[in-house]
Amino acid sequence: MTSNFQLHSSNAPPPLALITGITGQDGSYLCELLLSKGYVVHGLVRRNSSTTRARLDPIFQDKEVYGKRLFLHYADLDDVTTIRRLLTKIQPDEIYHLAGQSHVGTSFEIPESTCEFTAMGTLKLLEIIRDLAKRPRFLQISSSEIFGRPTASPQNEHTPMRPVTPYGVAKAFATSMTCLYRESFDLFACNAICYNHESPRRGESFVTRKITQAAAAISVGLQDKLKMGSLDARRDWGYAPEYVVGMWQILQQNNPDDYVLATGVDHSVQEFLQTAFEAVGLDWKDHYEVDQRFIRPAEVNMLVGDPSKAWQRLGWKPQSDLASIVRSMVDADLLLINRNRFPNCAVASQAWTSPPNASSGKS
Amino acid sequence: MKRALITGITGQDGSYLAEFLLEKGYEVHGIKRRASSFNTERVDHIYQSPHAGSKRFQLHYGDLTDTSNLTRIIQEVQPDEVYNLGAQSHVAVSFESPEYTADVDGLGTLRLLEAIRFLGLEQKTRFYQASTSELFGLVQEIPQKESTPFYPRSPYACAKLYAYWITVNYRESYGMYACNGILFNHESPRRGETFVTRKITRGMANIAQGLEPCLYLGNMDALRDWGHAKDYVRMQWMMLQQETADDFVIATGQQITVREFVKMSAAEAGLEVEFSGEGIDEIATVTGVTDHERAPEVSVGDVIVRVDPRYFRPAEVETLLGDPTKAKDKLGWECEITVEEMCAEMVANDLEQARCHALLKLHGHSVSFAVE
Repeated sequence: MTSNFQLHSSNAPPPLALITGITGQDGSYLCELLLSKGYVVHGLVRRNSSTTRARLDPIFQDKEVYGKRLFLHYADLDDVTTIRRLLTKIQPDEIYHLAGQSHVGTSFEIPESTCEFTAMGTLKLLEIIRDLAKRPRFLQISSSEIFGRPTASPQNEHTPMRPVTPYGVAKAFATSMTCLYRESFDLFACNAICYNHESPRRGESFVTRKITQAAAAISVGLQDKLKMGSLDARRDWGYAPEYVVGMWQILQQNNPDDYVLATGVDHSVQEFLQTAFEAVGLDWKDHYEVDQRFIRPAEVNMLVGDPSKAWQRLGWKPQSDLASIVRSMVDADLLLINRNRFPNCAVASQAWTSPPNASSGKS
Repeated sequence: MKRALITGITGQDGSYLAEFLLEKGYEVHGIKRRASSFNTERVDHIYQSPHAGSKRFQLHYGDLTDTSNLTRIIQEVQPDEVYNLGAQSHVAVSFESPEYTADVDGLGTLRLLEAIRFLGLEQKTRFYQASTSELFGLVQEIPQKESTPFYPRSPYACAKLYAYWITVNYRESYGMYACNGILFNHESPRRGETFVTRKITRGMANIAQGLEPCLYLGNMDALRDWGHAKDYVRMQWMMLQQETADDFVIATGQQITVREFVKMSAAEAGLEVEFSGEGIDEIATVTGVTDHERAPEVSVGDVIVRVDPRYFRPAEVETLLGDPTKAKDKLGWECEITVEEMCAEMVANDLEQARCHALLKLHGHSVSFAVE
């Protein structure tokens, strides 16, 4: 069996990347992208009593990759000694820092650990990099939540931060620190200010995935109602496999800088809901119920990004529209349901985890 | 009787605020860190023995990095007002120890807000967060006011930015009475010895008394808006007495360079100086001694200030100038002490200490004092 991920044919040593948050949506796509570009990839993972890393399953099954070009290491983001030891040993060329407590709603319940991982984790990495003999390039994944209640729309790299959630405040802190270390210590440190980006691998507690899972389940009679918070919030939704391409491109430039990664188009949660139910031939109004529990204490309203800098400088432009993103998610959730019903159906598990064919931009 | 809890009570602002609140009739509680050496000299004069009858001033051991401890203290004190002044407050040190700075200054604020919320005191306890003009860093407009976008330039400022936003967030999310005072530099004789103003007034006093030959400084072009801490703690209290919580810039609206502050301090110590040279070669030379009682050990021609690049910051903040219009219009607050008056008070205080040291030295005692 040949590997999906070919090494560079040249004699030069392969580039080394380290990814935090490799088991997440973006981490898994980025891992695949980098492997396909000939990188050797190291990932940091937390010790957990359950070892499911479903998003990485297709890579694990590739005998040419795991243990040869992909290595996972146990290290929590607050474990400075372990991370320092790993970075000193691995000497990566590029670090993609994707890990964090990434759920906005949950950040109201666990604000302290959100800050600990999302903000302090970034600072700890920057501090270690500052001391390394060979300083890797560093990408901090920032978020549109730093704009919270923005003063301008769409938002670009110069829009003042105005976070309104513990998650947004922590991300603003990490973003500022990344800029500061670039300016003060001359690190090649960049921010990718990402707007929402979805995929079949989106975590199940996020609203988009919740909707597509519900649409799939309702369509086969496994569920009746979908309980949700406000439908008025508007978001700029992109496709995650395209966003990781932008992340990689940011670290390939001559100079470090910050970039907004967004589609520039916003939709309401209601539109997302409608599209998902249409994909399975249903009317969302028949199945939706409002639930006050999901209304956030300080609701973010209008977030839409201006990706023109990424387009002009990186040649990065997202291709997928909302309908195609939603359809890919609903289809995958339908297949997952079938896999659970018919566990021997191998096709289903592949559909969820197979590497995307998405490509974007001029490069 | 109202109860206030002050973090950072052993610092400059904490000690002035404690005095101010005691005068207003408050019961004042403070949090201090355990250390092997005494660290309460700024509040020793108001300390009351726990064995004495009245206990309107009490200190608790605590640490902004210790969540359970903070929760326990707030539970016990049930404060009407919390003033969060505790912090690793030195900008240059924050470049050396960013992680600790972020933990205390950023997360420490969150821990207090969480403790108040956890204890169900959101409607009772009012919260003051000591924000800072360093948030403006690379200033986006001059002068800076409440609506000026932030651009932090140090780990200290980044951590304080987190604290600023999380305070706003808890006000908006949970209806807490929580406000930020965005304070521009404020000084006094109680200012820490490593801050530039105190370093200068202390340096001039020591030089005048022959205890030190020369003072080494960093960027002397830096422009700052310097007020007196006493004026500023009054405003901190006023901010918590309003109908609704809000954020305010607290500043004088005037600025001078570090170099001008050196000149001002030298004059108070009885010395006239002139600056010459540029960049790291800049020096200040004594051109006249106007008060031989204050400056008995200095001669015309002595070089008493030099530049040491060690004190340059990785990212400099060149200018800070606050616009206190909102504080004046809404709260009627005005700065009463000028920078000249403040400088005179600081030099007078440092001269007194320097005279003591000089006297000890004269009688053959070895005198060592921290210079860093």
